Amino acid sequence: MKPLLGASIKMVVRDHQALFWAFAFPMLFLGVFRLFSFDSYGTTDLVVAGDVSEARVQALTGALEGVDFLDVTVRPDLATLDAAMQAIDDDEAIDAALVLDASGSTVMAELLIAISDPIGSSVTTASIISVVQDVNVALSGVPRAIEVASRNVGGDEVTFFQFVGPGIIGMGLMTFATISLAGSLSRYREEGVLRRIRATPLAPWRFFASVVVAHLVIAAAQVVLLTLVAEALGANVLRGGLGFLFVCVLGTLVFLNMGVIIAGRVQGRGAVEGAANAVTLPMMFLSGTFFPTEGLPAFIQPFVQALPLTHMLTALRGLTLDGEGLLEQGPALLMLLAWVAGTFVLARYSFSFRDA
Amino acid sequence: MPPVIQAQGLVKRYGDLTALGGATFEVQPGEIFGILGPNGAGKTTLVEILEGLTRPTEGSASVLGLPVVEQPDAVKTRIGVQLQASSYHQYLTLREILSLFGSFYPRAAEPMELLRRVRLEDRADARIKQLSGGMKQRFSIVAALVNEPELVFFDEPTAGLDPDARHDLWQIVREVRAAGATVVLTTHYMEEAEALCDRVAFLNAGQIVALDTPVGLIRSLHAPYRITLRTAVPLALVAVEAIPGVMEAQQEASPDGAVTRVRAGEAPRVVEALTALAAGAGTQVTDLVIQPATLEDVFLSVTGRGLAG
Repeated sequence: MKPLLGASIKMVVRDHQALFWAFAFPMLFLGVFRLFSFDSYGTTDLVVAGDVSEARVQALTGALEGVDFLDVTVRPDLATLDAAMQAIDDDEAIDAALVLDASGSTVMAELLIAISDPIGSSVTTASIISVVQDVNVALSGVPRAIEVASRNVGGDEVTFFQFVGPGIIGMGLMTFATISLAGSLSRYREEGVLRRIRATPLAPWRFFASVVVAHLVIAAAQVVLLTLVAEALGANVLRGGLGFLFVCVLGTLVFLNMGVIIAGRVQGRGAVEGAANAVTLPMMFLSGTFFPTEGLPAFIQPFVQALPLTHMLTALRGLTLDGEGLLEQGPALLMLLAWVAGTFVLARYSFSFRDA
Repeated sequence: MPPVIQAQGLVKRYGDLTALGGATFEVQPGEIFGILGPNGAGKTTLVEILEGLTRPTEGSASVLGLPVVEQPDAVKTRIGVQLQASSYHQYLTLREILSLFGSFYPRAAEPMELLRRVRLEDRADARIKQLSGGMKQRFSIVAALVNEPELVFFDEPTAGLDPDARHDLWQIVREVRAAGATVVLTTHYMEEAEALCDRVAFLNAGQIVALDTPVGLIRSLHAPYRITLRTAVPLALVAVEAIPGVMEAQQEASPDGAVTRVRAGEAPRVVEALTALAAGAGTQVTDLVIQPATLEDVFLSVTGRGLAG
């Protein structure tokens, strides 16, 4: 059995396509998604234009400078609307301008926002308006009727990369296990290797088992390598511990079974590889590898909630993002176990050495 | 010594289709036994039953004294099998494939020793894809010898090879037999069977239609000679057919006269009579060829048709 397993592992390792799906493909995604930064919008360059010798303008400017994400510049020269507009047109470093006219009993303020992103634009507008209200209240000397204190209680703050890291590891295990195993089995059948094996006293199931176990071994290497890379890039996946590994094994078993089913049901190697891609690629997007599944429309949710990768990722993220234990992943694990059992039975009846 | 193969009434049906309609024969130790027939005659089905790959619908077979249907694994341990086309792992080297296959058997020959036998020792670290057609076939033959089998099956070992590579392979098959193994090979090349086989079974539409040594089969023909005669003036066909010993005669026009083809039971007297006939017609024999009949003629006579492909 040992030389057979050794040969089967060699065959996977020498198959460049298998290596691509196992390592290059998920690494590429880890690298690309590390570059994205959805977590901070950086700072907003705010120009305050008006007569800075005026007390009310000074009070407002001081309050605005106290806001973390605002980078405030005072520009008395832009004190007219036209001048401010012109400056925004000429100078792209201005995200917002607050033009103040303090000549009357009420300071007239005009807010110009030059941020195209709608979320950034409304956050900036709301923040500045809220500062203005605060300064109004402070200057009028009226005691506050309501005081708000806020704190984040939703667990630790989660970065986008921490969310996407476990997703990419799950996705990598899926694409490798399904595409590579389906491809290998159909290649062995097409090349006549299975038939040749049948002509020896080796029991066909032993050969079959060696191919599956070889894929499990490579999948284990995948988990180790992808986890270390994701961790090094800041995904904080090691927090998942051994439970993380356990969920990875369950998921890989489902995906290996799917590979066997595809190899057994679809004829011809090209068609097998096409079918394996057709199964895994939509699942990669629908199961929330890159973005939360909550963003998908309601009509598709029952389908999304039935997919094995969805549950695998739910469990992986529960372990890493929320720091939960394996027991808390109960519902997702049950779904995964049901998938392991169901696909195993189907695989058992899909692939036969008799066709070889 | 008991026969190496004893087949008794082997039948294989796939639904309504009868691939093999009842094959009974024996193969003796040390023979090179040929199974001949056109594509679809049932050669592969017959061989696969003997190899333990396919169960017969009816009948029984013993291979190396073992009942193959009941003990396929015991049989597989002691036989060697070469299947049509290259059927090996593309990601392993020749040496690795041989040692992998060796690990399936209780005893196995050393990979380099095997490669030397087919002059592939300098290709030990090459992959199947990097081999020429002839090398691939040589490799698939030696891969059938990893367990030092007492009986080896070769399925169309020279299909698609050029004459050079084919002669090369024949030599290797002869060496396998000389080393003590019994060889069963299927082919649809008549000259291969004549050059290589001690005995030949003709298979047609699932039936064994003839079985003997190549010489015995040719001798059994009523017309073991082909005589081709070229004359300036056509000979009277009726007169040719009337010559004693002529079984069949055909004539066709050619640019410089006529070609008369004759199948005859004997050569010297028929040739004499033909030359006399030409002299009587006042014409000259410009060319005369006498050929012995071949296995192809045997096949034509037992099936009433030629070999397709």
